[in-house]
Amino acid sequence: MFTLAYPSTPEEAVDRLARAAPGETAVLGGGTDLLLDVESGRTTPTELLSLRKLPWRYLRWERQSLVVGSTLPLRALEVDPKVRTQLPGLWEAIVDVGSPALRSRATLGGNIGRCSPVSDLLPILLALDAQVRIVGPNGRREVPVDAILQESRRTTLGSADLVEAVVVPAAAPCTYLWQRVQPVNDISQVGVATAYAPTPPHWRIAVGGIQPRARRLVEAEGLLRSARPSDFEAELAAQEAARRSTFVTDRRATESYRRRLVSVLVRRAIQRTLARVPPVAGGPSSSP
Amino acid sequence: MTDRPLKLVLNGTPRTFEEVPDAERLLDTIRWRAGLKGTKEGCRTGDCGACTVLVNGDPSLSCLTLAREVDGDAVTTVEGVTRETVGRAVVKAFEENGAVQCGYCTPGFVVALSGLLAGRSPPPSTEALLDGLEGNLCRCTGYAAIQRAVAAAREAVR
Ligand SMILES: Cc1cc2nc3c(=O)[nH]c(=O)nc-3n(C[C@H](O)[C@H](O)[C@H](O)COP(=O)(O)OP(=O)(O)OC[C@H]3O[C@@H](n4cnc5c(N)ncnc54)[C@H](O)[C@@H]3O)c2cc1C
Ligand code: FES
Ligand code: FES
Repeated sequence: MFTLAYPSTPEEAVDRLARAAPGETAVLGGGTDLLLDVESGRTTPTELLSLRKLPWRYLRWERQSLVVGSTLPLRALEVDPKVRTQLPGLWEAIVDVGSPALRSRATLGGNIGRCSPVSDLLPILLALDAQVRIVGPNGRREVPVDAILQESRRTTLGSADLVEAVVVPAAAPCTYLWQRVQPVNDISQVGVATAYAPTPPHWRIAVGGIQPRARRLVEAEGLLRSARPSDFEAELAAQEAARRSTFVTDRRATESYRRRLVSVLVRRAIQRTLARVPPVAGGPSSSP
Repeated sequence: MTDRPLKLVLNGTPRTFEEVPDAERLLDTIRWRAGLKGTKEGCRTGDCGACTVLVNGDPSLSCLTLAREVDGDAVTTVEGVTRETVGRAVVKAFEENGAVQCGYCTPGFVVALSGLLAGRSPPPSTEALLDGLEGNLCRCTGYAAIQRAVAAAREAVR
């Protein structure tokens, strides 16, 4: 069994991790992934380093950007009215993680640390071009979430690196859609996120439920050149997204079903995001 | 092991627990140290909601929470919730609508629903309340009676 350590500053936490032998100390966020891995014996740390005393349970807007401390429970993001209106796709992804009582514990830092290929949060963070503030033995740095993800339970974070915060650079029309066998407490077969930016390139598309990790589909994005793509263009991009993704067959869905889902959900996500783009005053796109 | 005793404000009363292993789940502290058996263990993996308690007022899964991670916090179980007006109204609504069969899931529902209703005036819509209970599973009732009980509890507290 493990003991708990409660560092009171980020520096103390990093220092403790840096001095630990490999596999000895694990970082504890909300514990909704880690405790199950410890219980099943998949990982056998002798110490859990709790982030509870670190000042990272915050949510704030810095000019246009949303900055979320890595230990803030997802529930706090979900009940924030501004998150819901400014980043609807992020809100959609969060409210469908597990159950409300799970979201009182689960965190964004833990979701990134777990790097599940079926995470519901990573696709929307990728589509929103989220940046991750990291604190480690060499100080602080900020990298795109894309640069952190590798495969299930593997990231590019060093053994003494901690996710301090996640920065969503700008409020944006965005959407997250998923398909599951059961709507609640089930793992998504696939998840699709789209986000729109007012300046070109306008569109970002990211998919989860694919191997080895959630990722952006730049090839499909490249087919959406205009700010307001037609249904036909959306369909072409959706098909390209499905073609470019690597799916597996498992007990939740077959490879071909997942591929079909991606093409349907990408098209719907583009259309839903488009409906969330405010019309340009006086321009041709202002007509309904 | 952390030498310090564990402190919780359990159902409104400050309590101190000695020699709590660091790996102990809040669920086990509540059931075995405090002897409050209303909180149930259904799955221990976050899937059923039977172990739901309020931590500082928010419904939380006590099976996926280390007791030491809520040191100093206010923890309210079904025993505490049902001492309050809202909790009693919820229990009454469950009884009167036949929303209890074996009763194993009931404390989780009662705690979660009371947490959603407490201090909220006007209460959230029935739909929002049902969304808030989406992680609570019941193997007996088929949910129709529970849905009626939720609507009735909402009426009773508004
Ligand atoms: C019943 C149930 C349902 C679930 N449903 C969903 C779902 O619908 N969608 C979904 O995406 N996920 C789901 N999950 C998975 C899980 O809840 C999420 O991945 C959650 O975001 C993990 O956060 P946490 O804080 O609990 O992580 P933890 O378990 O604390 O940590 C997970 C990993 O990240 C590391 N870590 C934690 N915090 C940091 C940090 N700040 N810096 C660096 N590393 C860190 C840990 O060391 C560990 O390796 C579910 C889990 C359960 C048990
Ligand atoms: S026992 Fe905690 S969710 Fe089932
Ligand atoms: S009444 Fe038996 S599980 Fe709900």
